[in-house]
Amino acid sequence: MIRALVHIACALPAILLFTGWQYSYLGVDPEKTLIWETGIWGFNLILVVLLLPVAAKWANWPELRQYRRAVGLWAFFYATAHFFFFVIFLLGWNIGNLPKELSERPYITFGFGAWCVLFAMAITSNHYAVKHLKRAWKKLHILVYVAATLAAIHYILMVRSDYGWASTYALIVLLLCGTRLLRSKKTYRWLKR
Amino acid sequence: MGQVYQFAKDKNCSVMTRVTDPIAYKRRKLIVGALGVASLGAFGNLRYKGRISAQASQLSQDQLETSDKDYIELDRSTLSLTERRITQKYAATNYNNAYEFGWNKSDPAHQSGGFTMRPWSVTFDGLCHRPGTFDVDDLMGMPFNQLEERIYDFRCVEAWSMVIPYNGRPLRQILKAAEPMGSAKYVAFTSIFRPEEMPGQTAPFSAIEWPYVEGLTIEEAMHPLAFATFGVYGDRELPQNGMPFRITLPWKYGFKSAKFVVRVTFMEKQPPATWNQTNPREYGWYSNVYPDIDHPRWSQSTERRIWGDGDIERIKSLPYNGYGGQVAHLYPGDNKKYR
Repeated sequence: MIRALVHIACALPAILLFTGWQYSYLGVDPEKTLIWETGIWGFNLILVVLLLPVAAKWANWPELRQYRRAVGLWAFFYATAHFFFFVIFLLGWNIGNLPKELSERPYITFGFGAWCVLFAMAITSNHYAVKHLKRAWKKLHILVYVAATLAAIHYILMVRSDYGWASTYALIVLLLCGTRLLRSKKTYRWLKR
Repeated sequence: MGQVYQFAKDKNCSVMTRVTDPIAYKRRKLIVGALGVASLGAFGNLRYKGRISAQASQLSQDQLETSDKDYIELDRSTLSLTERRITQKYAATNYNNAYEFGWNKSDPAHQSGGFTMRPWSVTFDGLCHRPGTFDVDDLMGMPFNQLEERIYDFRCVEAWSMVIPYNGRPLRQILKAAEPMGSAKYVAFTSIFRPEEMPGQTAPFSAIEWPYVEGLTIEEAMHPLAFATFGVYGDRELPQNGMPFRITLPWKYGFKSAKFVVRVTFMEKQPPATWNQTNPREYGWYSNVYPDIDHPRWSQSTERRIWGDGDIERIKSLPYNGYGGQVAHLYPGDNKKYR
């Protein structure tokens, strides 16, 4: 029941964008709308993934943690759509230009970095990978915090003048990384030393 | 989940009281909170959708309007490129960069409803023999509907473009009336500062300092292509497009064409320009369209031509936005000096 709700909620932006595209409700520049909305929804869902363990602890509701995989995969879906639309609309399918864009434009470098991290987590999100990677799996998946940080930098570097929203997102990421560090046993030991 | 029954510990009290289980309470709070945030998002989405569908119905009306007009007949200028496809009025008036009203492309159309457009006066000062302040109607020098119409390519620095019919008169006619002195090498334009009507001017995290300022060399300002603009698509009531009075410079990136101009100053030294000051690495002072000089964050070699009817065409960008034949002589030597 909750699982179904999680999937419906995560699919909703994609459904709205798809119908918007079909019925041309995406404004004057639908290409830009698609790039922007898929990007921000990818980021939103990464934040939800980071929030789930905090909420689980606060409400003493450990089952919440298990939805991280579903939400995380949806975040990867939106990030992939975002990257795909960037390649179609902004690069005009000119994939030959991609290495140049990646190396010369830092905001693209950071965004692509975030996507790579999400990709690595997405392909190891199955039971098989959990079983075989064992400890490495945990280490790999803690990288979701790195993905969030890269996404925050990606967003800030894109701003032309108004830093309001971009810095709000960055602040949330900073807070979530901070709470995670405080929860970790390593920090605890280090503090006790 | 829910309530647990518990005897009050106080021995004097034998009444059974209902106490909420603290964990269930927190879970409930979490669900309510999540629902709240989700409904906020949903509400935002609904608003977004409502707005856009309202636009879609408007679109068909505007489509009628523009196709009914015969722009070839309206165009009396030898400088205009005639028989050209133009961008739908709806697109050109609902997809704007006017950060005074907000940084979203739809903000200028949506946030400018309360903008006072009349009376509007423009002050001419600095190095000129006839300084003074004039009403915008006097600057036109003729009834609005008799102004010249020019169809110009508009190229945004963000690598998109539109084809727009502007109503106005050559800027140099107005500048000459002020009789600039021989020592005037530059012309500075100042936009209006009116934070009570322009929400973008009070945005807390804005990197831009208001009012918006721009400048041209006197040769650029006197060039026949430089256009003093009082309307677009035969419509003056469009603050989102910089009315009542703006400058249009088709061979430069759009931001160089100052909007809501209230002051024109003749100067000996190069005046500051807002985007150039905000981020000199990304925006040059001259701001000419040079496809071979990239913006640090994107390529300028192509542009997305927005026609507004759902068609977005990817086309090659041209030096000076295609007006090189008329203006290239103003920029001798290395292009990099005039970026």
